[in-house]
Amino acid sequence: MASRRRMLLKVIILGDSGVGKTSLMNQYVNRKFSNQYKATIGADFLTKEVQFEDRLFTLQIWDTAGQERFQSLGVAFYRGADCCVLVYDVNVMKSFDNLNNWREEFLIQASPSDPENFPFVVLGNKIDVDGGNSRVVSEKKAKAWCASKGNIPYFETSAKEGFNVEAAFQCIAKNALKNEPEEEVYLPDTIDVGGGQQQRSSGCEC
Amino acid sequence: MQETELHDLSDDADYAASQQQGSSSMMRTDSIKRSSSNEPDGAEIVYSKDNVAIHPTQFVSERISGRLKLIKQGSSLFMTWLPYKEQNSNAKQIEKDRNLYTIKAVPFTEVRSIRKHAPPLGWQYVIIVLSSGLAFPPFYFYNGGVRQFLATIKQHVFLVRSAEDASVFLVNDFENPLQRTFSSLELPRVVSVASGQSTPISVDESLLKENQERINGYESSSISQYNGRQRQKVHDPARDISIQVLEKFSLVTKFARETTSQLFRDGHSNGFGAFEKMFDSQPAQDDLHKASNDAERVTDEIAVASDPLEFDKLSLVWGKPRQPPLGSEEITYSDLLKRFGSAGKVNGNVILWATFLDNEGRVMDSEALRKRIFYGGVEHELRREVWGLLLGYYAYDSTYAEREYLRTIKKSEYETIKHQWQSISPEQARRFTKFRERKGLIDKDVVRTDRAFTFYDGDDNPNVNLLRDTLLTYSFYNFDLGYCQGMSDLMSPILFVMEDESESFWCFVQLMERLGPNFNRDQSGMHSQLFALSKLVELLDSPLHNYFKQNDCLNYFFCFRWLLIQFKREFEYEETMRLWEVLWTHYLSEHLHLYVCVAVLKRYRRKIMREQMDFDTLLKFINELSGRINLDAILRDAEALCICAGENGAANIPPGTPPSLPIDSGLFYSQQEDEVL
Repeated sequence: MASRRRMLLKVIILGDSGVGKTSLMNQYVNRKFSNQYKATIGADFLTKEVQFEDRLFTLQIWDTAGQERFQSLGVAFYRGADCCVLVYDVNVMKSFDNLNNWREEFLIQASPSDPENFPFVVLGNKIDVDGGNSRVVSEKKAKAWCASKGNIPYFETSAKEGFNVEAAFQCIAKNALKNEPEEEVYLPDTIDVGGGQQQRSSGCEC
Repeated sequence: MQETELHDLSDDADYAASQQQGSSSMMRTDSIKRSSSNEPDGAEIVYSKDNVAIHPTQFVSERISGRLKLIKQGSSLFMTWLPYKEQNSNAKQIEKDRNLYTIKAVPFTEVRSIRKHAPPLGWQYVIIVLSSGLAFPPFYFYNGGVRQFLATIKQHVFLVRSAEDASVFLVNDFENPLQRTFSSLELPRVVSVASGQSTPISVDESLLKENQERINGYESSSISQYNGRQRQKVHDPARDISIQVLEKFSLVTKFARETTSQLFRDGHSNGFGAFEKMFDSQPAQDDLHKASNDAERVTDEIAVASDPLEFDKLSLVWGKPRQPPLGSEEITYSDLLKRFGSAGKVNGNVILWATFLDNEGRVMDSEALRKRIFYGGVEHELRREVWGLLLGYYAYDSTYAEREYLRTIKKSEYETIKHQWQSISPEQARRFTKFRERKGLIDKDVVRTDRAFTFYDGDDNPNVNLLRDTLLTYSFYNFDLGYCQGMSDLMSPILFVMEDESESFWCFVQLMERLGPNFNRDQSGMHSQLFALSKLVELLDSPLHNYFKQNDCLNYFFCFRWLLIQFKREFEYEETMRLWEVLWTHYLSEHLHLYVCVAVLKRYRRKIMREQMDFDTLLKFINELSGRINLDAILRDAEALCICAGENGAANIPPGTPPSLPIDSGLFYSQQEDEVL
């Protein structure tokens, strides 16, 4: 056991400015929420140890600046990603409309070996706001879009309340793990690395 | 120039008077007290003046009157000022001030210069500056007598009018060779003051105790006035003592601060340059720095390439010591707060600041001012004016009146631009996506900009609205650039300093003239800075450069945040402001911020290489340095690196790399207006 190399899983969180990327990351890693997060400049990441199927992994979660103008930096930050999390604010239509841009931009910049099957997870955040009354993007609409992009797993979350955050990141971790190229997985023998599209979303509540 | 200092006495009425009066001058003083009971044997009162007052505050009720005396003992001249005892003084504070300000036998060997003021209205006063550079509060001569005062001094010590400022008289100024020759005639007198009679005449035991440190200071520096001057040029432990002593005096000078802030505007001088001398001669004390490096030098198995420019060696050569901020040289805030309990009386020292201005408010020597700020920043209450100058909002050669006028004009211009977005109706906004998006972005950012800082904290804080309004107005002023994240970080301290919407806006406009390219859509400004940074590291630390190269870190994106918002997130608020004003001086280089980056990287080079940080780890490490960088040490290092790199450094920075200054900053103001109109 001790000789096993701990595997690093790299996850990138993308989405419009102010949708709650930093908050989601901090809620998941530190189980804390603050109203005082500053706009992210450049990029930062947090790590968390996760156990999955009896093995430990290090989840490295990257939080990036949300403004389009900074997208050109992505080249440096996106490389080697194992999973990309697309976040929008259920109360802001534009942030949902932009998911497609974020997805495409990511695929261009990260240039994964198999873009068709690269794992994404979509999070509709801030469902707590105004008791859900200010919501403008319906769950149905979001799920429809996810389905059209190859059954992307979808979660509705509240980083503020901590709602569904853990579940979402478990799904993210799982999908990131599946993306690990075969040569990386020389340590364990119990992991299913051949999981394809169908299997990817099967473990998630979506 | 040296000659002028020598000859220029006869044209001054005071000197003329002194020549004629001779020793009889003392007979003409109106209240000579020759009470042998008060003064020890051998002491002779050569001048005594009643109703000489200090004004500790602007309140008339707090003025303190007293008697100023010049006392000669042996061949030494001393000055005393004793406040009158007031029968019905029930105000404890005043009584404390009374004791505080009492001057018990200051020898003239300790006096550097005397500045005489004769305002057309009001009382004449003098400001006495000690050789350390500190000053007593102004003495107001309610019954006249400044001339006699100076004339009397002239008879007993070497007094020469400053060549630089006719209202300043230098005491025992033996600095230039000519004078030294000249003074050799009088030297015996002076030397004997120092060596023979170092203790104050009024040998009152309790006083001695009370002023123990002060007296120690005098003794340590009174071996010889001449030697004393020489010693200032090399490091001398005795000077540290005198600095401590002077900290005691800071209370006194604090009053000078308040009371002279207005008065000093009627004249200008560099006769108070003793400040500069004092700090210039202070050796770099970089022990902290060394300690931190030592701490890092723990044993490790991974060999780290040695630093071609080690700071430990460098800082002995380069890196002038930081000075206290401009406007606070002789006092610290904590001293003030200790003394006064509240900050209520603390505002307003502009002694040194005023010496950079002529009587109409023009900066006489912008280079000197920028240098001064480079080496220590600016006291907060002066920032409002100084930042406007540094950012080019005000021209250095503008007068008070011109600046005031500019503010008025610019305010109405600002309102015009602001009105452009304010007048957008909801109907119009619905059809104006770009506006809605831009406003939405700004709204989101201002509520998360420095909210933990008092100025912006709490719900419905009006300053948050000001932040939004100024940024939104800027995005209309510069619609092409628009709003970009990071701008709120840059605006926040400006708004805090300027405390005025329009002023903040225009200063921000000026800042964006320099930093706008940071926010270009193509990120060209950032890329050119990151590129320049990599070139500078290659130049100044090739092993580190090679390390970055091998580890695929040459894009330097881990320094992105530093550069985008000028280290705003890396330091405490106050430190950020200080760093910014230092950077904005463009004193050594426009691109000092790049050397600051190099300095930080170099400081942690061992750790980076020893731990074999990859890009991710490095980025994390750099992000987590936030709040842990020693600003003073880093600025010293950056200065050393900048000087070390010299022209090679400059050649490695591509033309147009932000912040590029306008070609002729003198035209800035008029250009600005054209753009707006």
